[in-house]
Amino acid sequence: MAYPETRNAEVERRVADEYRWGFVTDIEQETVPKGLNEDVIRLISAKKHEPEFMLDWRLRAYRHWLTLTEPTWSSVHHPPIDYQDIHYYSAPKTRAQPKDLSEVDPELLRTYEKLGIPLQEREALAGVAVDAVFDSVSVATTFKDKLESLGIIFCSFSEAVQKYPELVRHYLGSVVPYTDNYFATLNSAVFTDGSFVYVPKGVRCPMELSTYFRINAKNSGQFERTLIIADEGAYVSYLEGCTAPMRDENQLHAAVVELIALTDARIKYSTVQNWYPGDAEGRGGIYNFVTKRGECRGDRAHISWTQVETGSAITWKYPSCILRGDDSVGEFYSVALTNHRQQADTGTKMIHIGRNTRSSIVSKGISAGFGSNAYRGLVKVLPSAANARNHTQCDSLLMSDHCAAHTFPYIEVKHPSARVEHEATTSKIGDDQLFYLRSRGLSEEDAVNLIVNGFCKEVFKELPMEFAVEAQKLLAVSLEGAIG
Amino acid sequence: MNSFTMSQALVNTRSSLRLMPVRRAALEQFIAHGLPTSHEEDWKYTSLGHLEKTEWHTPEGAPIVSNVVLGTEEYPGEVMHFSNGHLNEASPQACYARSLAKQADSAPVVQHLDTLTRATALTQLNSALWQDGLFLHVSTKDTSADASAPLFAVYSAGEAGAMLHLRNLIVLEAGAEMLLVEHYRGTPDLAYWNNPVTEIVLGEGARLTHLKLTEDSAAATHTGLTVVQQARDSCYRALSVNLGGRLLRQDVEVNLMGDGAECRLDGLFIADARRHIDQHLHIEHAASHTTSRQAWRGIAAGRGRGIFDARVVVQPDAQHADAQQASANLLLSPHAEIDVKPQLEIYTNDVQCGHGAAVGQLDEAQIFYLRSRGISADVARALLLRGFADAALGLLKDTGLAEWLEPHLTAALPRLEQERAA
Amino acid sequence: MLHIENLHVSIDGKSILTGIDLDVKAGEVHAIMGPNGSGKSTLAQVLAGREGYVVTAGSVRYLGHDLLALEPEQRARAGVFLAFQYPLEIPGVANVQLLRAALNNLRRARGENELDAMDFLDTVKSKLALLGMDDSFLYRAVNEGFSGGEKKRNEILQMAVLEPRLAILDETDSGLDIDALKTVAHGVNALKHPERAVILVTHYQRLLNYIVPDHVHVLAGGRIVRSGDARLALELEDKGYGWLAPDVQGNVQGDVQGDVPMEAPREGRL
Repeated sequence: MAYPETRNAEVERRVADEYRWGFVTDIEQETVPKGLNEDVIRLISAKKHEPEFMLDWRLRAYRHWLTLTEPTWSSVHHPPIDYQDIHYYSAPKTRAQPKDLSEVDPELLRTYEKLGIPLQEREALAGVAVDAVFDSVSVATTFKDKLESLGIIFCSFSEAVQKYPELVRHYLGSVVPYTDNYFATLNSAVFTDGSFVYVPKGVRCPMELSTYFRINAKNSGQFERTLIIADEGAYVSYLEGCTAPMRDENQLHAAVVELIALTDARIKYSTVQNWYPGDAEGRGGIYNFVTKRGECRGDRAHISWTQVETGSAITWKYPSCILRGDDSVGEFYSVALTNHRQQADTGTKMIHIGRNTRSSIVSKGISAGFGSNAYRGLVKVLPSAANARNHTQCDSLLMSDHCAAHTFPYIEVKHPSARVEHEATTSKIGDDQLFYLRSRGLSEEDAVNLIVNGFCKEVFKELPMEFAVEAQKLLAVSLEGAIG
Repeated sequence: MNSFTMSQALVNTRSSLRLMPVRRAALEQFIAHGLPTSHEEDWKYTSLGHLEKTEWHTPEGAPIVSNVVLGTEEYPGEVMHFSNGHLNEASPQACYARSLAKQADSAPVVQHLDTLTRATALTQLNSALWQDGLFLHVSTKDTSADASAPLFAVYSAGEAGAMLHLRNLIVLEAGAEMLLVEHYRGTPDLAYWNNPVTEIVLGEGARLTHLKLTEDSAAATHTGLTVVQQARDSCYRALSVNLGGRLLRQDVEVNLMGDGAECRLDGLFIADARRHIDQHLHIEHAASHTTSRQAWRGIAAGRGRGIFDARVVVQPDAQHADAQQASANLLLSPHAEIDVKPQLEIYTNDVQCGHGAAVGQLDEAQIFYLRSRGISADVARALLLRGFADAALGLLKDTGLAEWLEPHLTAALPRLEQERAA
Repeated sequence: MLHIENLHVSIDGKSILTGIDLDVKAGEVHAIMGPNGSGKSTLAQVLAGREGYVVTAGSVRYLGHDLLALEPEQRARAGVFLAFQYPLEIPGVANVQLLRAALNNLRRARGENELDAMDFLDTVKSKLALLGMDDSFLYRAVNEGFSGGEKKRNEILQMAVLEPRLAILDETDSGLDIDALKTVAHGVNALKHPERAVILVTHYQRLLNYIVPDHVHVLAGGRIVRSGDARLALELEDKGYGWLAPDVQGNVQGDVQGDVPMEAPREGRL
């Protein structure tokens, strides 16, 4: 995903290869027809030149998926999804793209401007067909060399399957098995691409991964798969997503992210999610059903999830930590904002297995308009987890009298030396508070910023600096006119 | 459990004819759907599988109650004594407290009975098979009801294999006040099943203080529901003290329907030995300026398991609702378990809501402090444990019942210490 | 500095102020007194620009500008400060953040440079010292969990930092113990300056023992029924509001309803 020119060339070459691989189908050249069956999965696997084990794995997932029904326990509501009405494979560049910025929705451009996104990035984000190579690509190449010299693998998932099949085979599905849940199982069957990171023993990755590549990541598709492995003593910070609203006509997104931290390793995973939330009436918008899970597989491993979720019509995700190694640490920091008709059901699971494992959860939900925001979390201390510690802080900020804010924590403790604490509060920001701040000379925008940033500061401080600045702007833009 | 024994139990109700069609319909519903299973979110932590496997019967009539069952308990107030599901004829009856079976066709019963419960399997079974229970009706004019003099409803179980579907209806009309104590108990180590349903209707400004002590036998199952509906400015204060049974499942639902209504649900549970105690509280704020408070303390030891599941819903029109939940739990043994699920569902903005939940142990620093003052470790633990439990018992101060409850508590707590040591 | 002429204000169609005339010159301290429901708080809120109040007639000139045409933040930047009767709690926002954002906005508006973090802290700490307040005040969320007295002190701290041209104190003295009252008075007296003016809205004479006003106005039934110097306040203390005019009480009765939204405490009920 890091190298668009080569990747496109690669895809074209593979598509051209199709006949050689013996697939004689009457489909369009680059898009598999709508619908899902074993042939489609074989086709995806073949187009990606995958080894046998990958195809087997996908097929097992698909067969398992057929036995499942869509979960109904979350507090999100949406019309039924027709899984046979989706293209499960389409090569990049098949979509109609605007020729220049004049063809792009002015509302979108206005938002880019407010977020302070550089001009050339705006074109890329809006999906304009850009042929020019921007600076970031050469920057990317520079960093790629540096990563290679340290033995760090950072490439697209497809490339990893080709170049590092043993690593993929060893770790894929080891944290989120293909049987895990409806959406993860679907992803396992049909995922098209994603990212792969391997940081070798004792190596500290010297830069935030993906900051410099984010623009090029836009075509990862709706079924994305990310696998990050930090070997013993390694450290990596990975950034996913982008503050700019991404247009994407795929309504359903079902990504899977697996993190594996071995002994003394540390993985920090930060997300800013700002996909199209639908219009003010709730039409359109992305359904984002994500399975993210990390495993602290060795002693003293440390996994930290930070997320700022402002986009999508529906967000359904629970980045979780399995704290298997003794003294391992799991963290979850989240800001989820719902405005208009957005719905978010998000939280985390902290599974304490090892001794002296610690976890900490900070969740900040902001509900405005008719938005609905639910925190759903599980803290589980198994009988083996002596001296486990958890602290959960779960706060809701309510900004309109039509919005909804829910808190659903599950605490299950099976060891007498564990200490688990959960606290939740709600607070209201309305006209009165706004007037108070304005009477001190703050503009309405500054007042909202101050309130929201104050409310979210515990989470923002976990984000890499530049990401944090962008996230603050993003919340302000997302909340314009929301108070009342 | 099969449909034949159930039909037999239906005959045993000797019900008012008016209620027979309702009972039959409820029983059919129950038989069609069966007991809840752990696939249901509300039953995630509790299995009723053992109830399916047992042949339960309902007792035929009020037996003579022996002192073995009753013990020497002295109750500081009026007593309504139900044994094996029937009102003991010897029980004194205050004019406002009667047998529900005998009053089944009276106007207030016709008006209120079965109006509050949701159709869950266990309430349907109770609606179908109840034999008797307390009918407490305090009208505004009733001067004989003294809010400071408690009425004790004592439910004793003394028949093996009996299922006791007690049904209580409590109606406090506008401005009425009452102090009610329910005490569930049974012959030690006897296997029986208590499945009581209590419906409480509070009129405008009515105030009910409600203590519920469960001390069922160590082999008993208790599945109980209390459902409350509150009119404007009414006040419901409840304290549950759950110390007994093999399996106890207690549901409390409070509907704050009128502006300014408030409720306070406090509780203490001790899940030691192999005891499984599962408490579900559900409070609906359906009007403005409504207030709810929950303060619960739980202790799990031995192979015990305690579950505290509390849900507060603030409906869209319930502006200025104020809801606070607190659940603190001690886990004292490697084989015990505590599961806590405090939930807030808020559909409006002008509210003050919060909850806190914690699971932990006695503070070693505090124990050390006490020991450094010359107190033995065991005594120090007992003191701290008692202090922990007392934090949930604030309501007792107002009711003057602390002295009555004291021996029940002290009997429950030392057991715990032995468990811990074992 | 401030010139109010024939000001009529209504809320939800109910008229609250029925023709206020008031002239405040630089360097002056005015006290506006009156019984509950007389419209005192309404006047203060209208001057600060709170929404929901409809000016049906009259005008307010401030330093030669039409004050009513300005947004609340523009008024603040022009030097108008309202100490709230019921200061709002702003969860998650530290006092120091609010002060810094507000002060720098003000300085920008005056064409001055923004203060950097160190200079800002020096300024604020000197004001804290002046008011005998603890530094820890700065790092608590704005008014969250503050006692009534702490909230009022916090208003005075904001005023001291922002150094307004026109400070309006809306019943800042209500519910204060004597120490807090002295802090408030000290803050106001420290602000006195030939270029500044203060309007004290108060129900009690007590505050005026510590801040001597140049003018005292009695508001009743939505208009000023009596003006005088500091002696008027003492006279009121002696004789009560009923002494002023036989129709004051009647007006008060009729007016209570309309003013209730501003007078009612915003804290939750017990």
